[in-house]
Amino acid sequence: MVISAETRAAIDAEIAKYPKRRGALLPALHLVQKQTGWISPETAQELAAIFEIHPIEVMEVVTFYNMFYDRPQGRHHVYVCTNLPCSLRGARDLLKEIEQHLGIESGETTPDGRITLGHEECLGACAWAPMLRIGAQYHENLDVETAKRLLDELK
Amino acid sequence: MKISVDGVEYEVAEGRTILQALDDVGVLMNGVDIPHYCWHPKLSIDGSCRLCQVEVEGVPKLQIACNTPVAEGMKIHTQSERVQSAREGVMELLLLNHPLDCPICDQAGECKLQDYAFEYGQQHARTQEPRRAAKKRVDLGPTIVFDQERCILCRRCVRFCREVPGTGELSVFSRGDRSVIETFPGQPLANDYSMNVADICPVGALTTKDFRFKIRVWFLEDVPGVCTGCANGCNVYLGVANNRVYRYVPRRNDAVNQTWLCDPGRLSYKRIGADDRIDHAALQNADGIPVAVPLEEAIAAAAERIRNVVATKGAGAVGLLVSPHATNEDLFVARRFLDAIGSTQAGFAVVRGRGDDLLIKEEKAPNASGARALGFEDAAGLLSRTRGGAVEALVVMGHDVLAAPYAESRDALERVDTLVLLDTHRSPLESIAHVVVPVRHAAEKEGTLTNFAGRVQRVQPAVEPPFEALSEGEALWQIAQALGLPGFDDPYDVRAVSKALAQSVPAFAGLDLDSVPPDGAPLAGAGD
Repeated sequence: MVISAETRAAIDAEIAKYPKRRGALLPALHLVQKQTGWISPETAQELAAIFEIHPIEVMEVVTFYNMFYDRPQGRHHVYVCTNLPCSLRGARDLLKEIEQHLGIESGETTPDGRITLGHEECLGACAWAPMLRIGAQYHENLDVETAKRLLDELK
Repeated sequence: MKISVDGVEYEVAEGRTILQALDDVGVLMNGVDIPHYCWHPKLSIDGSCRLCQVEVEGVPKLQIACNTPVAEGMKIHTQSERVQSAREGVMELLLLNHPLDCPICDQAGECKLQDYAFEYGQQHARTQEPRRAAKKRVDLGPTIVFDQERCILCRRCVRFCREVPGTGELSVFSRGDRSVIETFPGQPLANDYSMNVADICPVGALTTKDFRFKIRVWFLEDVPGVCTGCANGCNVYLGVANNRVYRYVPRRNDAVNQTWLCDPGRLSYKRIGADDRIDHAALQNADGIPVAVPLEEAIAAAAERIRNVVATKGAGAVGLLVSPHATNEDLFVARRFLDAIGSTQAGFAVVRGRGDDLLIKEEKAPNASGARALGFEDAAGLLSRTRGGAVEALVVMGHDVLAAPYAESRDALERVDTLVLLDTHRSPLESIAHVVVPVRHAAEKEGTLTNFAGRVQRVQPAVEPPFEALSEGEALWQIAQALGLPGFDDPYDVRAVSKALAQSVPAFAGLDLDSVPPDGAPLAGAGD
């Protein structure tokens, strides 16, 4: 079993809030991902059994939303905004530099499991472009050197 | 209630959507052409392709015909300028990322995307961006290959797997222009009905491994027929070219198989041109070895041996073990043969296997019901009487008798004075038969078959066997002629046999070959 007893209890509490059992799938995915970091096929199968749906229907939801992960994630999520204002201020070059610095491409995780790198559409910080987020923390008005230093400080 | 479509009034049922109502009346794509991809008459409504938009008077925006309920007096226009231009727009969107690789695509020639691109597409794309690159050959399971680039995400296959076999192997993963059809890791598309997804895929995204790259579909002639894999009698088109059957595809019959076909049945076309067909007549020589002879010689020898048995043991020692693979007409000839010679020794053997609640029936032959309707009983009695010595000349059709539960009866077959085998495919029976006559498959002859529910359906010659062969009925007829039996004076004519069957057996009244409608008709008293 991947899903812990504690998570399972929390899922059951969510299910009780919805008129249809499967309505609680989204909160359940959040709970499970908080426990396990990502949604593995085994996890999807356990959830499918709980919600009385096909495992593939769990994966439909997981793959639909960007913030559910269908593969193992690094300890830190680094997401660079590449929407229009940030791109005008050099965000795409910034992303390329970071890719080279970490030796991975956007969407990948460093082999040591330290960082998962990605790019994102508009994080609402256009006035301070270019920017990136590490987890829930914004880092704004970036230049390449500052960004590299920030990443190097991550354990 | 009444609706009007392009100025023509139709009486339709309440609670149906426009496409459903027109399909009920039988005019959809058959007088009223409303192009559609995602809607399918036997699946739930999706409304995702947007191609079926029509103009409804009094409604400002175009409506999708698949999901708009009909209303009394509704006036619908399917060919107006607004509708045409909407179709062009939808086609341009659907073709944005389509590879347009028709020259190497197996669907070409029966592709709705190709047809409507021709009708509503632009000559040149207005985009300069590269097309979405995706996987071209995804192995979805044992039967199906998937081309992600060609997929237009109509979700017919997804809905089929959930709603018909209930296995739900397929799904749409991701969203927007990253959406792709996927299977769950370690759970391939593998169910008894998987190949239907290739039929309902409106484009070339899902193709069957079996038919892929075998032949261009425009070389195929679609001959209506019946699948002979089990007692359900699913309606099919036999795809024929070069005197060869290349595939079965389902032929819609709402009273039998809807629009579906099971995988084992679909692949049973291979039995027609199989390597193990009996392709010559044979007589057993003095050493017990079968030796090839001309067909006429085999018929004459069979008659001669039966005549001797009648002379020494009496006509009652002649038995017929008929086949549920034979047609009603063949079996009717068998019935008349017995009556004419004066014997009641008869039965039929049928192979049983796994069945399900959908289409697959336990009896693995197309006409066991026909045999019953013509008064034949299960072979057990005949076999035990044969073992007991009551039967000395046995005409055996097919080799179903080798399967359980009859298998232990082989000694009964081995002890008779004369065993005449009328069969399509090779089997160990050949080695104990004194006379072997090659017979035609249901796809090689005229006739009717009675399915499990008593529905009589017609088969017709789609191909000609590349060797001399007779239907079981004609073989028996010729043996009867050689024996000089009364009632067999005329040359064999399946139509005359069929008429006599319809006239003399009440259950078959009005069901001769030329009267059976294309979708079949129930036996009198069988209900429907």
